Amino acid sequence: MNDVMIEVDGVGRTFDDVTALDEVSLSVPRGSVLGLLGHNGAGKTTLVNVLTTMLPPTTGSARVAGFDVVAQAHEVRARIGLTGQFASVDENLSGTDNLILIARLLGASRREARARSAELLDLFDLTEAADRPARTYSGGMRRRLDLAASLVGRPDVIFLDEPTTGLDPASRIGLWEIVEDLVCTGTTVLLTTQYLDEADRLADSITVLADGRVVAAGTASELKARVGRRAVHVTLTSADDVPVALGSLERAGLEPVHDEPAAAVEADRAPARRARPSVVSTPVQASTDLAVVVRALDDVGVEVAELALTEPSLDDVYLALAKNKTAA
Amino acid sequence: MTTLTSTAPRWQGTSVSAQIGILTGRSLRALLGDPKLVVFSVLQPLIMLLLFSQVFSGIAGTAGFPSGVSYIDYLLPAILVTSGVGAALQSGIGLVTDMKNGVLGRLRSLPINPSSVLVARSLSDLIRTALQLVILLVAAVALFGFSPAGGLLGVAPAFLLALAVSWSLSWVFLAVGAWLRNAETMQTVGFLAMFPLMFASSAFVPVEGLPTWLRVIATVNPMTYAVDASRDLALAMPVGGAVSGALAASAGLLLVGFVAAVRGFRRPLAAG
Repeated sequence: MNDVMIEVDGVGRTFDDVTALDEVSLSVPRGSVLGLLGHNGAGKTTLVNVLTTMLPPTTGSARVAGFDVVAQAHEVRARIGLTGQFASVDENLSGTDNLILIARLLGASRREARARSAELLDLFDLTEAADRPARTYSGGMRRRLDLAASLVGRPDVIFLDEPTTGLDPASRIGLWEIVEDLVCTGTTVLLTTQYLDEADRLADSITVLADGRVVAAGTASELKARVGRRAVHVTLTSADDVPVALGSLERAGLEPVHDEPAAAVEADRAPARRARPSVVSTPVQASTDLAVVVRALDDVGVEVAELALTEPSLDDVYLALAKNKTAA
Repeated sequence: MTTLTSTAPRWQGTSVSAQIGILTGRSLRALLGDPKLVVFSVLQPLIMLLLFSQVFSGIAGTAGFPSGVSYIDYLLPAILVTSGVGAALQSGIGLVTDMKNGVLGRLRSLPINPSSVLVARSLSDLIRTALQLVILLVAAVALFGFSPAGGLLGVAPAFLLALAVSWSLSWVFLAVGAWLRNAETMQTVGFLAMFPLMFASSAFVPVEGLPTWLRVIATVNPMTYAVDASRDLALAMPVGGAVSGALAASAGLLLVGFVAAVRGFRRPLAAG
């Protein structure tokens, strides 16, 4: 049996004049997790929609669980589970009834459907809320029910479209653990996320999308090697000092970038990371590099208003990739 | 983690008729879970019944009004039809709402025929409408003294005719919803279309009593035929061409609406 569970070959998708996906190719082996990383509008959801047969590609082809997503859409749908903004549960039905509905539509008998529903509700810690309408569930419970709904048919491949967006930290970690358990059983997972730490924790390999194109692909550590494990963000007292600071940091062997307003999109990250004309960022390998940064700035007499060391975010990936591109 | 593994055989899917049955059951279950929805949907026609029966009661006995008929007996068959038309619009709006909130996305990710989803919605809405009309009829008899000449044998076919009109129009609105995919626009367009259709017709006053220009509109308004048909049946008046005309038009609309709805619904849901 074919052990590549998701195979995407030159897939493109346009909406009128807008190109949502452009020549995307990737491949996911059985039992592994692919993290699809990108901002809103990068094309993540469009790719998920193509792979779950919800949207035909304009160009290229894709196979999921060995079946073509266009010509064999029905076969594909029998083998996948989907959780995301475009696939939700019925708010007016109870948790039990939602899962029974799906099991029955998949072909389970009443008894099998009831048993499967109880089993999943128990697994996702929803037994107490099983008979309440889903609209009364908290955000975390809703997301767990969504995930349970996508697992009813014991799918070979599951698609999780931003599964933790909007969840509180505890629910987020709970969901991560569920996904990790799932992978242990041999399920193949494609997960989209805006968070590098999420992809880092869950994914065996990561594909970064920007403007509908694959801009980087590799394991988390390969990507981080390119991005820098951590980044130092320096706020200068005067924006006029930016060129001098950049020059000095480069001479010190670092790869500094000037925070362009367009680059800082992720508003829910630390406020210090918002685009400001006087902020210079550089990826660093170790915390000892902090000293290098300070020394380099001190050498050229640049006055520093604020200095912050942060874990890498998606912005840093984009920044580093953009930097690599211009350097190449 | 045995629960998650694929040791059990994969279920083999379901036939289209089973899908329709399961999905219809789902909608009706939601309805039973929230009976307020039915009660509220009956409130509007009840209020119309109350207001119109008071405001227009003087019309009985004027030109063109069938002699010996009370206004409530004249009005109710029309309210059956207009309520049915209103319910049909709600059916389309409901479809758009389900498209937006992700329920249909989930259903479409399953190995089922997309048309099952549409047929199931249409059937469950038909049952809901029937329930609404029955409540309306019972309330009209109990509260407003509705007792048409046709008796139960006249009212039953009038009720079925109103349902047929409602069902065929629901397919038209499902088609509009499947293509338009915007609940607000549908609501606005729907109500803008409904009011002239209702008032420029024989629903509330005899066509003969309308100003000339309205009379011209009313005589070409399909609502007039549906209302006349329902009224002829309920009041045991000679059943003219209105009944067969209304049924033929309904069948035509049903067919066109069904084809257009299925085609519209098969288009991809997502656009981003």
